[in-house]
Amino acid sequence: MELATQLIAYGILMGLVFALIALGLSLIFGVMNIVNFAHGEFMMVGMYVAFIISSYFHLDPLISLPFAAAIGYLLGVVSYHFLIHHILRGPMVAQLFGTFGLMLFLRYLAMFIFTPDVRSIKQGILVGKTLSIGWLTIDVSKGVSGGLCLLSFALVYWIIHRTKLGRALRATSIDAEAARYMGIDTKKMNALAWGIGGATVALAGALLAHYYYITPTIGMLFTIIAFATVALGGFGSIVGAFLAGLMIGLIMVLSGQYVSELKFTFIYILYFLVVVFRPRGLFGW
Amino acid sequence: MRQVLKDIFSFEDRPRFERIGFVVFILIILVFPWMVHSAYGRVVMIKFLLFALFGLGWNLIGGYGGQVDLGQAKNVGFGAYATALMMFWWNTPFWVTVPIGMIVAAAESFGVAYPMFRLKGHYFAIATLCVALVWKELFVFWDWTGGARGVELTIRPTPDFTYMQFGSPIYYHYFIFLLFITQLLFMNWFRKSKLGYELQAVRDNEDAAASLGINVYRTKVITYTITGGLGAVGGSFMTVYYLYIDPDFVMPLDLSILIAMTVMVGGAGSLWGPIIGAAILIPLDMYLGAWLGAGKRLGIDFMVYAVIMMVIAAREPRGIWGIIERLRKKG
Amino acid sequence: MLLEVKNLVKEFGGVVANADISLGLERGKIFGLIGPNGAGKTTLFNCIAGYYKPTRGNIFFEGKDITGWPAHRVTKVGIARTFQSMKIMPNLTVEENVMVGAFCRISNRLVARRDAQEILKLLNLAEEANVLPTELPIATQKRIELARALATRPKLLMLDEIAAGLNPLEIKEIVQTLLRIKEERGLTLFLTEHVMEFIMTISEVVTVMAAGRKIAEGSPEEVAREEKVVEAYLGERYAKGKSD
Repeated sequence: MELATQLIAYGILMGLVFALIALGLSLIFGVMNIVNFAHGEFMMVGMYVAFIISSYFHLDPLISLPFAAAIGYLLGVVSYHFLIHHILRGPMVAQLFGTFGLMLFLRYLAMFIFTPDVRSIKQGILVGKTLSIGWLTIDVSKGVSGGLCLLSFALVYWIIHRTKLGRALRATSIDAEAARYMGIDTKKMNALAWGIGGATVALAGALLAHYYYITPTIGMLFTIIAFATVALGGFGSIVGAFLAGLMIGLIMVLSGQYVSELKFTFIYILYFLVVVFRPRGLFGW
Repeated sequence: MRQVLKDIFSFEDRPRFERIGFVVFILIILVFPWMVHSAYGRVVMIKFLLFALFGLGWNLIGGYGGQVDLGQAKNVGFGAYATALMMFWWNTPFWVTVPIGMIVAAAESFGVAYPMFRLKGHYFAIATLCVALVWKELFVFWDWTGGARGVELTIRPTPDFTYMQFGSPIYYHYFIFLLFITQLLFMNWFRKSKLGYELQAVRDNEDAAASLGINVYRTKVITYTITGGLGAVGGSFMTVYYLYIDPDFVMPLDLSILIAMTVMVGGAGSLWGPIIGAAILIPLDMYLGAWLGAGKRLGIDFMVYAVIMMVIAAREPRGIWGIIERLRKKG
Repeated sequence: MLLEVKNLVKEFGGVVANADISLGLERGKIFGLIGPNGAGKTTLFNCIAGYYKPTRGNIFFEGKDITGWPAHRVTKVGIARTFQSMKIMPNLTVEENVMVGAFCRISNRLVARRDAQEILKLLNLAEEANVLPTELPIATQKRIELARALATRPKLLMLDEIAAGLNPLEIKEIVQTLLRIKEERGLTLFLTEHVMEFIMTISEVVTVMAAGRKIAEGSPEEVAREEKVVEAYLGERYAKGKSD
């Protein structure tokens, strides 16, 4: 019973991180119908930002959060202007290979700079501490990460649904042409979607780095997790991505407990099953 | 029957400069081991032929079929493991293990193709990637495949034509050339076959294809199955060439990507595309690997690939062959 | 009856695109299906040709129930179609486009090619045989689609707005071509159009649809006199005038 509660708590906390990771992918897909293969690499960049702040500058990795978000935002906007914008009208194969190229570039750039060694962050206010509530013991880093992810998610949700900017973004996602006629600069909106996508996922990466190992090749796994999450929640649906994130977190933590070598296999199989049998997601019609 | 033979060996429908280029290319490969004596040059050549072989197979589904499959490495793995394990357990001769590897790969491809072709585009691409990753994890996880440690072949007295072990790379050169040319001739037949045309029709427009009586779904499944079988051949070669395999070596994601990229760079859906792509990427890879990627700082090679890939995607999705065709039309 | 549609209903998430449509096509005749934009003509075509599954109702071809069959099977029993928004294979040459159609009945490549060449000649396309279709004008592309559909050796040929986007001269040409191949190949033709003039001159029987329903049927003259038909069209013209 204790173990089960513990696992569920971790699953939910992990799920909150996944939800934030999936948010950007879902947003980008919703606005311009393109899937970003480099999404997990954006996250990996966030992780290395935290690692640099911690290991090279000897500062608390928490300080890296605004930097990670800013760098992620820039990365998103720059990728949009230099690459995505040029492949949007191309055939699907070109779109696929374009973002795939971006993924490879970031991945191997990281490998070039940081070597393939597995890193982790060893020092920080949150690192290595635990907190006990009754018989529930939680790593502080996981708890705070989950909470901050939830906050960021809520913030982005608020921006999209309550601000003028968000309205323009949603208009673009519903019908880009009509939005253009109404005077919305859709190119700017596309870039913004990439910016927000990059910022949120890099932020999630910086948080995840507090307790997860860091390697240049970690992105692919999280790209697939994000894909599975978005597929499960329904492509383009932000609320769906949130709920699906929680589900995937639970599945991964629980399966990891019992068959630890194959816990990623479950994610791959889950993606496969969802897109084949529920192509509109669990919550879509 | 005579028609089939003619379709296999005839390149008559291709323009003259292509036929001349092809003959020159074949001649270069035939005399290569006698002209180039550096061990390194020969290794590059063998690797080029191996990836041209992989590319030819992938071109079927990825080029002529237009379905971006990012999991071809699993089929390479099936071929490699079929040969390695059967030799290891029962001393099965190489030439028996090849068709068995092909059948295993084709059967698996057929099995997953069935649900997978309900998907299109990105969803399909990611699904292929997932399937390949699952197989790789299973091969690491299982004991009977040797797990992460892999399989090592017993060294035999050379030259051995039953188990295809040789002391000199010249043997391997002609050996892989034989496999390559067989596959090229198969592709030459395929592109002119009924299935070949139907597949291209499906790639270009599925609704139109269906209106012409083509079963779109079945066409894709059959093609994917054949592609699986073709991928296994190169895997079998890898086993006897390297004498050691493990999942990270024969079925990693990077291999799937490199195979797909070879074709995309050279020109997907054209007969020569995979060869051109391999002729560019493999020497580049070896060069970068030797000079820039020395020591622990890996990755320059893939960064260069990535840039090529992005430029091709943004500027010329039909690859280098597309550029050649365009120049020829202008000139 | 060559084709019989019985009480066909097609709904899209509650929106009724075809409501209770019944039709009968006799062998060897030319049928026209007209109606303003959004009347449900293309939906009906798509149901017959196997692109949509009907919500209710049945479709019979030569007495065989083909309701809900996939498109490729429908083609195999002898129904060919063209598309309103053209769907040509851009990377295959004109001849190869038609050849793929011929593969529907013929497995041998050389025989299929000869067949394709014959059909191209029939439609005055022989000179364009080795060109990529995307380089050709719209009117020619429409003829290629027609050639491709013919190559499947259909008994029933369904043409979805084949005259749309063509000028009067091109329309005249395509009418003559259609009449000629209909005679030579013993075809039954089923055409949709929202331009009345074209269809009234060629069809023997005309069915009128509006807002998903069949509102009239008969010879072109009869139909043109029906008040409901005039109303449906006037309504559209009126709306058009406003949006222009």
